[in-house]
This record gives sequence, structure tokens and C-alpha cells, in this order.
Amino acid sequence: MAFVLSLFAGRLVQLQGLDSKVLQAKAAQQRVLLESLPARRGTITDVKGHPLAITDEAREIYLDPADVTPARRDQIATTLAKELTLPKEQIAGMLAKTDKHYLVVVRDLDPMRAKKIMSYGFKGVGSKPTYRRTYPGGNLAGGLIGFVGTEGRGLTGLERAYDKVLAGQDGQQSIEIGRDGQRIPMTRSTRQSPVSGRSVRLTIDRDVQWAAQEAIDKQVRATRARSGSVIVMDIRTGQIVAMANSPEVDLNHWDDYAPSDWGNRAAAEVFEPGSTNKVITAAAAIESGAVTPETRFTVADHIRCADRVLRDAHTHKTEPMTFTQVIGESSNVGTIMAAQRITSQRLYDMFRAFGFGATSGGRLPGEEEGLLPKWETWSGSQRCTIAYGQGISVTALQVASVYQTIANGGVRITPTIVAGATDEHGRMIAAPAPAQTRVVSATTAQEITGMLEGAVEDQGGTGSEAAITGYRVAGKTGTAMRYDQKCMGYCGYTATFVGFTPAQAPRLVALAVIQDPKNGHFGGMVAAPVFKDVMTFALKTRKIPPDGS
Amino acid sequence: MITASDRIPRRIAWKPALASPDWLLPLLALALCGIGLLLVWSATRLDPGSTFLVRQAVSVAVGLVLMWVVSRIDLRVLRAYVPFVYVLALVSLTGVLTPLGVRVNGAHSWIVLGPGVQFQPSEFAKVALALTLAVPLGELRDGERRPGFGGVALALLLAAVPMGLIMLQPDLGTMLVFAAMVVGALVVSGARKRWLALLFGGAVGGALAVWKFGFIKPYQMDRLMALFGGSDASGVGYNAAQARIAIGSGGLLGKGLFHGEQTAGHFVPEQHTDFIFTVAGEELGFAGTALILVLMCVLLWRGLTIARRSATPYGTVLAGAVVCWLAFQTFVNVGMTVGLTPIVGVPLPFVSYGGSATVATLAALGLLQAVHRARTPAFD
Repeated sequence: MAFVLSLFAGRLVQLQGLDSKVLQAKAAQQRVLLESLPARRGTITDVKGHPLAITDEAREIYLDPADVTPARRDQIATTLAKELTLPKEQIAGMLAKTDKHYLVVVRDLDPMRAKKIMSYGFKGVGSKPTYRRTYPGGNLAGGLIGFVGTEGRGLTGLERAYDKVLAGQDGQQSIEIGRDGQRIPMTRSTRQSPVSGRSVRLTIDRDVQWAAQEAIDKQVRATRARSGSVIVMDIRTGQIVAMANSPEVDLNHWDDYAPSDWGNRAAAEVFEPGSTNKVITAAAAIESGAVTPETRFTVADHIRCADRVLRDAHTHKTEPMTFTQVIGESSNVGTIMAAQRITSQRLYDMFRAFGFGATSGGRLPGEEEGLLPKWETWSGSQRCTIAYGQGISVTALQVASVYQTIANGGVRITPTIVAGATDEHGRMIAAPAPAQTRVVSATTAQEITGMLEGAVEDQGGTGSEAAITGYRVAGKTGTAMRYDQKCMGYCGYTATFVGFTPAQAPRLVALAVIQDPKNGHFGGMVAAPVFKDVMTFALKTRKIPPDGS
Repeated sequence: MITASDRIPRRIAWKPALASPDWLLPLLALALCGIGLLLVWSATRLDPGSTFLVRQAVSVAVGLVLMWVVSRIDLRVLRAYVPFVYVLALVSLTGVLTPLGVRVNGAHSWIVLGPGVQFQPSEFAKVALALTLAVPLGELRDGERRPGFGGVALALLLAAVPMGLIMLQPDLGTMLVFAAMVVGALVVSGARKRWLALLFGGAVGGALAVWKFGFIKPYQMDRLMALFGGSDASGVGYNAAQARIAIGSGGLLGKGLFHGEQTAGHFVPEQHTDFIFTVAGEELGFAGTALILVLMCVLLWRGLTIARRSATPYGTVLAGAVVCWLAFQTFVNVGMTVGLTPIVGVPLPFVSYGGSATVATLAALGLLQAVHRARTPAFD
């Protein structure tokens, strides 16, 4: 008996003394259940606080097939299929996986519908509170805002770019669970509360955005174009007021769209800019003193450049033109003649100064740099085509930024999309002021503005369709040959109009670009009307007084 | 070991009048039953509630009364009723195999008397066996110092019948308790060593046969394998592993009564019955488990002393069988919860929840007390 007793005593000392810590850890491991407490994602609003992306409460319905009595499977499958409008076979298939304990039937369910399902009291059917991301605007600024995946992380657009800010910090709760899966009544639970995400306020104006989207969508359909974009920017602040694309993804049903339509074309799609680029050539030539707006050129309708003969869009007799006329009537030949008065390096440096070949610096989602070859690598003919915007590629945002710089007296302001974000106390903190850099002198900017005004207002100007009654509009058309990978060369056109108003004290710059229109292709015909519609609406919304005829 | 040869000289006549009772026995029983009630309460108070505590309290009360009644009965009167008790035990053991019996945990060991009232005949059969074994082994013919072949054979025969019935249930744990009682009674009675050796050989042969021809139920086989095999907490060794985790997590001083998370989470199956020791381990720690073992050992030591001092060989064998019963159950039960013996379903005497077992063990203490009161006064 003494032997048995000492054996037991030894064993107890081993278990409760020596191995106690290990066994305590084992005990805790099988008892303690860590549960993640999702943080509520921050709201995205427009500049006035209208919600563009919000998070509200939802329910996740899940099954614990191991806990479902086989006899009730059919009834559960039938009822859930009816309530959730899902195929009955799908639910029956899930219920058959009896080795599983957690199978999600549906996420993002309305709490009231979840309540109804739970009211049946089925054993093995559970409901878990979650959050659901919804976009009140549907496809409003869809490509720009982006969407959130099922895991709650931003997948595209601003949702992705500002995911860290918006997501917040998930909390954690540890509870002690008994063998039957029920909470052990007397045990303590530790809880680390989730930290809600910050809200982000955009510079976008919901109403202007909507008008821009309507206008570009209408025109893309009317011209049977491939796609199009519109950008409206505040000249004095660099803030983007609208950034619309067509087609635009409906953020509440993003999985119905092809991934190629998820992006933010206005910042992500690169194209050869064409004639809108001539302002940079003009800026470089005027800034260097090589030409003035009044400089006269004798312009033929074609010009030989190294191994190629380059032509104007329309045939015309050889005629004398001022540089203002060259830009106003968008003569390629005249622009090449001006460019030939400065060095390639000078032209290249001006492109760089205006922001080509680099992202805008404004942290816009999906932004592309475009393609600006080093001036040393330019071929003989490329040197000429680049002067009128072929042979380089840019984004719509880059072009809009060029015109913002001209309109702002030669000072480039980094384009911004985020006006501010809430701090940990929920107060809105304005985003830091964007960087400003002088690109050309105020005089040069003023002279180019005059030339651009001529392009809209003057007889023979290509942009007359963009004229807005009561306002002096300065702008430039662009009709570029469009490089298409599918046809291994140039197929179709890129039609652009970019301009600003009021010309003497510019407030807003707007750009409309339409890719591959089938019904008409000149920027002045296809894109200028979109500019006019959007700008007219924006001027009214912003209550910007008229300044002219 | 105590044998009949170093018993008290029989020249001292034993007093027919009852001597003063042994107070230590009921005190130890009370202490163990009290600890048992607390542990049962702890293991069941959250789920399903107070039912088990109330039932166990009633069982303890009934058992204490029965202990007192039995201790007042003269041994010779008890002896007179042995045939009746033995037959009653056999009848009730047969009863569980009829439709009256209820299957619990794979064994037909219960008889339901009415709603909520059921009893386990095999527990009372242990009392009957102790009384019965003492007849052929303790009532020696004149001049005999130890039971002869006839006595041993008769004892084995009398034990074999109820054991056979229990194997039909089947209930390996109770069967092993019976076997331990037979061995204990034989040893205490001073039977010849060679018969014991023979019996041992027979038991080993029998066990091999059982093994070979598969008389053991699969769940029993699993439990045996779990002892040697593994720590796979979800599989065969689940009981054993969970018991070890619960006991070990208690540490030296335990988590405090009613504060064991493993107990409250019902991780250890059968925690209020066969695995009650794990509740003590988790909530009372080494201090608690050691206390239970010490109390049990003092009780067994008292039982052995009573057996040794018995005035008659009948009393010695009776007390010896009872002590063997309690000792075997204690060792097997504690052994299986700490992972030293295979898991066979036997309750921890006085502590485990179980009406029949509690009443029967307390009645057995009454038997010890009856033997004590009929002791030789010279040793007082």
C-alpha cells in the first residue's frame, strides 16, 4: 500500500508540480478562443461631406454542419434557399460537409433579413455581426473611389490607396469555451476594442462629378467610343473637383464588371496627347525667347522631318501665320517650325517641368507615369512629332495639370484628391497644402493663355464648340492618332479638349478625352461639347461670375 | 500482510456485548463524503444545476443511516442472513440483464425502480460478496488454522457466479473489484500460497483467453490502448489526456473551489463520477489531491487494523475483503486519472457521485464498524 501511495504521490508531484505550467498552457489553449472584432471602416465623403462610401452593419449567416441533425437538413436547406434566394442544392451541399464547423452561406446580409432567418431557431445556423461597405453613388467616381473585397481590404482606387487610414484597427476578444462550444460562465473575457477607421474627405464635388460622368457617358455612347474621361480641377488649389470615366464600375456590384473596367482611367490610362501638347512646345519656345505670339511663320501643309513628311490635319495653301494662329488653328507644321528654333533638351526639360514622365505627386490611385523618352534617344522625326504630341504618352491627369499650370500664371500645383481626414477624435484635419513649383514665367503663361483663348474664340479656332456664353474660355483641342496594341500600330483617334475659364482670372480647368470614337473623331467636335457641358455646370455650381461675352 | 496465523490468540474469549465504536471511521467517511459533495457541486452546478448535489446529499444521508444501522447489528446475526443476501444479490444481478435493466455507457448495470429512482445491483453485490466470502474462508473447522481446499474452492465458486453475471453486463471495472476482493479475502484468510499462485496463473490464463477470443468490448480495448499509447486529446486517449490536463493545471494549491475552468468547461467526461479526482486536482491542487489520498489511506489503515484485531476469522476475512474493495477502487480510480492505470470505470469511494456506490460503501464501513465492535477487548 505504501508503495502504491508513493507512486501516486510521485505522479501527482510530477503533474501538479513539475509539468503544471505546460499543462496549464495546454488547458488554456483548448479553452481560450480568440475572436476578431472587426473595426468599422471610415467613410469617404465628397468635399461637402456627402457620403460616397459608407460602412453599415450587416450579418453573416453561417452553418455548423456538424451541429445539424441529419433529419432537419432538408428543411434547413429549403428554408434558407427561399429566404436567401440561393439554389437549394448549394445549401444542401454545405450541410453535407459534416466535418466542418463554420461555412459561410452569405455575407453582407441586411440585419432584418438575418433576424428573420434566426427566428426559425435552426440548430447549426448562426448569424454573426459584420460590416458591409456600400456606395450610395453606385458608379459615381467608381474608378476613383474603388471598392473593398470580401476580406474587408480595399482592392482598388482610393479604398486601396488609403486602406491603412480607412481600415482602422481590428480588435480582439478572448473568451473561454467549454467542450460543447458554449462559453464557460464564470470565466473572464479580455477584450481589446477595435479602433474605427478614419474618414476621408475628398476634393470631389458630388454634383460636378455627377454632371461630368453623365456628360462623358453620353458622349462615349453617342460616338461609340471605347472609353472616355473627364477631369475638373480647381486652378488655384490643384484640387480635383471631378474625375469621371466611362464606362465606370458600379461599386456595389463590382464583380459584374470586367477587371479592365475597375480602374481609374483618368489617371491610369496612357495615350498620345496630340495637339494639346503644343502648349508645352509653345511655352518652351516663348520662355526661351525664340518666338513670341506675334512671330510670323510661313506655313505649308507639310514639312519634311528627317526621313518622314509630316502633315497638317487639313490641306491648305502655304500661308503666313502668327504663332497665335498656329496654335489656334492647331497647325502641326507651324508648331514644328517653332520647335526647331529651340534645342531638344530644352523641349524635354519643359515636358519634365510640366510633370510628364512622372506621377503627379498627389497620391492618386493607379496613377501611371506615361512614357517620355530621354531627349538623347529621340529620332529625327520623333523630335518633330513630339512637338505636337505624338511619340510620347501621358495620362489625362498630366495634361490637365499642364493647363492648370498655364492658367495659374505658370505655377504648377500638385493635383490633390484628398481634402482631409479625421483624426483619432473624429475632427476633420485638412490635408497639407500641396507643393507649388514655378514652371514658366507669369508673362509666358499670360501669352499662352491669350493664344488659347484665340483657339476657342477666334474665327477658324478649332475649339469653338467649347465656347460658353458669358465666359471667356481658353483651351486647346487635340486629335491624336491612337496607338493600339491590338492592331500593332495606330488605329483610331484620341479626341481631347482641355481648357480653363474665366480666361483672365482662371478658376477651373476641365479636360475631356474620348478614346477611339467611331462617330466623328476631332477633339473640337467630339470632346469640346463635353467640356462645355461640364464646365457650364461647374461654373454654376461654384457660382463663378461671368467675365465676358 | 495479515494472515490468520498471526491473528490474536483465540484463547481470549470475545465479548458478546458490543464494545465502543471506532470514531475515526465515521469521521473519515464524513470528511471524504463532504469533499465529494463539494466536488460534485463544482462539477455540476453550472450545468445541469443542483440536481446532482441534492441526489448525492440524499445518498450520503441514506448511506450514513445504513452505516449506523449495520454497525449496530451483531456479526452473528449478520452471518445468519448471508445466504439470503447472497441470493438477493444474484437475483438483482440477473435482473439487470432482463428488460428491467438499463444500458449506461455500454453496460447493462442499472435497474430502474421508478422515475428518477434506479440502482446499480453490482454495488450492493460487493457488500454481499464480502459477507459471503467470509463464510467459507472465515469459518474454520476445529483445529484448522487456515481454510482448506474445500473452503477455497467454495469461496471461488461463490464468487464466480456473480462475477459471471457482471461479465455479461459487461462491466470490467466491477469485475476487477470482485476479483481483488477474492484475492484479498484469500490472503487475509491465510490460505496456502500455492493456491494463490494457482489462482494467479489461472487469472493470467483467463485474461489471455479473453484477449485472444475478444471478450473485451472495443471501448474497453481502446481504454487499455490509451494508457500505453497516447496523448491524442481528441481520439482514444481523450479521457486520459483531459484528466491529466485538468489535474496538472491545478498546480500546487489549485485554482480554488468552483474556479476550475476545465471543470466548468466540461472537458473531462464523467467528471462528477469516475473522474471526480480531476476536479480536486484542478480546483484544490496538490494540497487537495494529497488530502484525499491521506484520508483514504488512514481509513484503509483503520480497516486493516480492524481486520487484524477481529476476534473471529469471519470478521477478519469480512473486514479484509471490504478493505481490499475500497483500496482497489481507490488505487484504480486515482491511477487512471493520473495516467498510471488503464481507464476502467470504477468510482472513487465516498467522493464520486453515485447513489448505489455511496450507499454501498458507507454500508461496508458499517460492516467494518460491526467487526470492530466485536473485537477483542484485550487490545483496547
